[in-house]
Amino acid sequence: MTKLLSIWRALKRRPMSLLGAALIGFFLSVAALAPVLAPPEPGSRDAYIIPQTGYSPDPVRPSREHWFGTTEQQYDLYYGMVWGTRTAFKVAFKVVGFSVSIGVLLGGAAGFYGGWIDECIMRLTDIVLAFPDLVLAVVIVAIMGPSLEHVMYAVMAVSWPPYARLMRGDVMSVKERDFIAAARALGACDARILLRHIIPNSIYPVLVVASLSTGSVVITAAALSFLGLGAPVGYADWGQLISLSRNWLLGSAGNPFEYWHTVLIPGITIFMFVLGWNLLGDAVRDILDPRQK
Amino acid sequence: MRTQGLLLVVALTLSTVPAPALAASKARNPDSYTYLTISDSDSLDPAYSYDTSSQLIILNIYEPLFQFVKSSTEKLVPLAAAQVPSRENGLISADERTYTIPMRTGVKFHDGTAMTAEDAKWSLLRFMLLDRAAGPSSLLLEPLLGYASTRDDDGKILPNVWADANRAVGTQGDNLILRLPRPYAPILSILASWSPILPKDWAIKNGDWDGNEASWRKYNNPSKETSPFFERANGTGPFKLDRWDRQTKEFILTRNDDYWRAPAKIKNVVIKGVSEFGTRKLMLQAGDADAIYADRPLLTQLQGIPGVEIIDDLSTLEMNPVVFFTYMINAVANSFLGSGKLDGNGIPPEFFSDKDVRKAFAYSFDYKGFINDVMRGKGTQATGAIPKSLPGHNPKGKKYQLDKKKAEEHFRKAYDGKLWEQGFKFTIAFNSGNLPRQTVCQILKRNIEAMNPKFKIDVRAIEWPTFLDNYKSSKMPIFVMGWNADYPDPHNFAFALLHSKGDYPATQKFKNPEFDRLVEESNALTDMTKRKAIYAKLQDLAFEEVPQLYILDAIRYRTQRDWVKGWYHNPIFPDSPYGSYFYTLSKD
Amino acid sequence: MLKFCLKRLAFLPLVMFGVTFLLFCCLQFLTPEMRASLYIKDPRQLSQLDAVIEKYGLRKPMPVQYYIWLKQVVHGDLGYSETAKMPVAAAIAAFFPATFELTVLTFLPIIIVGVFFGVISAVYRDSLIDHITRFVAITGYSLPSFVLGLVLLMVFYGRLHWFPPGRYTLETDMLVHADTFRHYTGLLTFDCLLNGEGGAYVDVVKHMVLPAATLLYISVALLLRITRSSMLEELSKDYVRTARAKGLPESVIIYKHALANALIPVVTLSSLLFIGLLGGVVITETVFDFPGIGRWGVQAAQQLDVPGVLGSTMLAASLFVTANLISDILYAVVDPRIRVGN
Repeated sequence: MTKLLSIWRALKRRPMSLLGAALIGFFLSVAALAPVLAPPEPGSRDAYIIPQTGYSPDPVRPSREHWFGTTEQQYDLYYGMVWGTRTAFKVAFKVVGFSVSIGVLLGGAAGFYGGWIDECIMRLTDIVLAFPDLVLAVVIVAIMGPSLEHVMYAVMAVSWPPYARLMRGDVMSVKERDFIAAARALGACDARILLRHIIPNSIYPVLVVASLSTGSVVITAAALSFLGLGAPVGYADWGQLISLSRNWLLGSAGNPFEYWHTVLIPGITIFMFVLGWNLLGDAVRDILDPRQK
Repeated sequence: MRTQGLLLVVALTLSTVPAPALAASKARNPDSYTYLTISDSDSLDPAYSYDTSSQLIILNIYEPLFQFVKSSTEKLVPLAAAQVPSRENGLISADERTYTIPMRTGVKFHDGTAMTAEDAKWSLLRFMLLDRAAGPSSLLLEPLLGYASTRDDDGKILPNVWADANRAVGTQGDNLILRLPRPYAPILSILASWSPILPKDWAIKNGDWDGNEASWRKYNNPSKETSPFFERANGTGPFKLDRWDRQTKEFILTRNDDYWRAPAKIKNVVIKGVSEFGTRKLMLQAGDADAIYADRPLLTQLQGIPGVEIIDDLSTLEMNPVVFFTYMINAVANSFLGSGKLDGNGIPPEFFSDKDVRKAFAYSFDYKGFINDVMRGKGTQATGAIPKSLPGHNPKGKKYQLDKKKAEEHFRKAYDGKLWEQGFKFTIAFNSGNLPRQTVCQILKRNIEAMNPKFKIDVRAIEWPTFLDNYKSSKMPIFVMGWNADYPDPHNFAFALLHSKGDYPATQKFKNPEFDRLVEESNALTDMTKRKAIYAKLQDLAFEEVPQLYILDAIRYRTQRDWVKGWYHNPIFPDSPYGSYFYTLSKD
Repeated sequence: MLKFCLKRLAFLPLVMFGVTFLLFCCLQFLTPEMRASLYIKDPRQLSQLDAVIEKYGLRKPMPVQYYIWLKQVVHGDLGYSETAKMPVAAAIAAFFPATFELTVLTFLPIIIVGVFFGVISAVYRDSLIDHITRFVAITGYSLPSFVLGLVLLMVFYGRLHWFPPGRYTLETDMLVHADTFRHYTGLLTFDCLLNGEGGAYVDVVKHMVLPAATLLYISVALLLRITRSSMLEELSKDYVRTARAKGLPESVIIYKHALANALIPVVTLSSLLFIGLLGGVVITETVFDFPGIGRWGVQAAQQLDVPGVLGSTMLAASLFVTANLISDILYAVVDPRIRVGN
């Protein structure tokens, strides 16, 4: 509790960090309040499917009816952005959570035990790192069908190695410190030393990187949508919504601003989200990382 | 955020500055014509390739026996042949089984050698005997030999292929003689697209088949890269192949100055694959491209660009999209079916064999809305399996309309009212990336679910490989596909969509002996009036049976620079109306 | 050192084997019908599905197919890529140099811009310039590359006609494919210079400016962030304080001492950044119609062109191993405290 308080005090001193926390807080509340902010159509079985008002290909500019306008095929952009916030958090937490856990466990074990365990784990890490992630994503989608979840499996499968490497390095340096030797002398078992002493003291760099990549998962989703691999069309996902602007980005003859909303609204939202996590990541580092004090 | 906004504002402001020095009428690169497409080519071997983008190149390099006159899909002019056979000129025998085709003399291949009747015979034989899996050979095998493949189901070569082929194709002086096993109405129409004449001697010199019985099996079902015609070409057409650059995905053609007619007006033609629409649009706008591929939803993006012309209302030879019902769904490990029973959580495998269910679906689709929204009001509702641009199309044919009352009536009647009581749930699939097909599924879902809260339809996008797998095993209760013509004859559509041996009915498990009989009967007649009557009857029967929903008689538009002159539309040209017969084009 | 390098290189076949094995494990789940989709693109061909499966031997179990493929590879044959319409080896030779050139052209500006602004924003920490730099970097980082690419294309090609998409214009195309043009290196820019074709050289470079600019803006953020944090860390160290206490000029402290040490992680990271660039060009290549390796690899995967996927994956893997090796060597070179291999 005192630690939390000190974090808060540190945050207050840094307005940029505060801004980051505020941004993420804002998005979190939008995600939580999605059913209130954008109630799904009665009778719809999946709230993440964006309602359509017609099927015309031309996007329609913001109006009283559609606050953010519509994308091509008349998907309501406001609804998509609101529910997309949930998707963004869901996907980001899942992907980052999974890859951080795997990375921390494997990297921790490799750094702690060393020897052939280290060798095996690190060679596996190398092989996975050498694997082009897009190719894996495409193959998984071909097998399981296009859906954000399936693509995320692919991203999870290839995104843990950097964490494992980072963790291993830190564990190796922490391992040599005196207090570990002390704990060992006191008769603590391996698991206890690893969980109680080593991981808590070496996890900050991993957390910093994790908070930075939380934002960028959304960008990955956009790239995959561009290649036709992301969420199915009509699913509330920011990446897909910005991809839907690809044919309208250039505007119409004589008016390049004709369809500005299709790119600017999701673009700015994604930027805010990434910015929020970036500032928060910096804050985490500045506050928690003892080396930077 | 501020900076990003600023960046965009600067960028967009710059983009409103008028483009420098691009006078509307003066053509850039007046000697060369550039067409930007999206598709990849497979092979330039005419006996191998079966995709529109390769066919477009082949159309301009090689010459078939005949070609359709201007925009006609019925009237032919001779090209490599000297005359079009008919009953009147005596070149078609009285039993309609022997065709005598006099070959044009004085025509030279691009390497300077003269074209002979022997080349024509060899080319037709090669087209049939090569018969690669999923290739075009069946188009000639079917009418000339009477069967669609040179191999049996196990991939073994049939014993009498060589004898049959040599009985069917022969020469007599400068004449090519074709002997059919039975009268086959569309044969000339097929030859107009699928009989390009290749140089026999040049081919042998480059390691291709020597025309003998002893060696032909070696060339049956080949790998494409082994053919000398794969990336090189030597035809009699108005353009020569300079290079196929597979890295940059472009073809460069140069004018054939020794063409037997007057040489083409354009010196170089570049056909290039550019997959991103924005890039294609900008290249057209800059004048670096003369024509681009763009489909209906993108129309508003191209309107009003100075110097760019849009030619709309161009007919097509396609029936797309079509909704297919599977009469007997394969229930093994099938997630599309739900519970597999009529209990509100699924459908039984024979769900769509009930005519009332099919009719209820037919009355639930909003045909007008689809055309207005997705097609921007262009095109008309299809009245049957045969498109508007072909003889045999019946403009007065009956068609379904959105009629919720009738739909409900049929839903209530189906399964003795059990369906209405219990409801159903299943999944419709479409291959991802196809917008019109996706919208068809969405409209069906929306309208049917609104009718009864117990009706539940999920729409699912699946990738093409998965789609193919489920298609092959008849697992999809409803699927949305389309058909593009191989040759402009109603038989091509009637067989593919309504004959039990056609591709789609085979997967739908739809078989009706009366349909089969009518399709076969019409195919054996050459009198178009009689054929039309049969097709009209067939379409009436299909309206009653509803094996498929025909939605749209599509029309397309072409986008080109206004300095392009001499283009004409014929829906049978591959990649029409974007790709074209470059011979008549000029720029000023 | 040499022993270390050899040991790492010996690891290469293991990575190759591991990567392709993993891939085949995934492909195990594909039915023959799904794989036949590579050859069947049109409804007109659907009736021939079985014949296609038969012809390409798709019904054989995946382990058998892997074995057949491995045997081929041992004999130096990587197979035929259906999507590239050429043998896999030829496809790599055709697509890789273009991407490599583009990456090289992008790499140097990224290093310069990233390090420069990274140092600036570390030295002037929490000042306006620090905030602005980081803001701009984050915009690049959070902007999907196709948005930036299309906007750049609209302005610099659509309006100003400075930098067209594609690889070259038709004239250069004709020139470099003429018989008289010698391909010394396979890298088009160098070959143009070696052949004395200045005009063609300018043309080729002009076609690479926009994709390079897009890549630069999108990827500079990472380097900038690392330089900044590494620099901040150095500046907080004791020796800097000592130097300041001794009264050394600030510029000497920053540029001579702190920067030299701060660059160590930057240098080691840069080879990985290079690989990241090579792999991350897919979308840029698509937007700018640039015929590179990224587009081919993804297209091969999308169409389930198995030899193509395996070929491009192996290339990516071997590049990764090489880059890792170079990174380790650089690490040893720039940081005398570390001796590799001990």
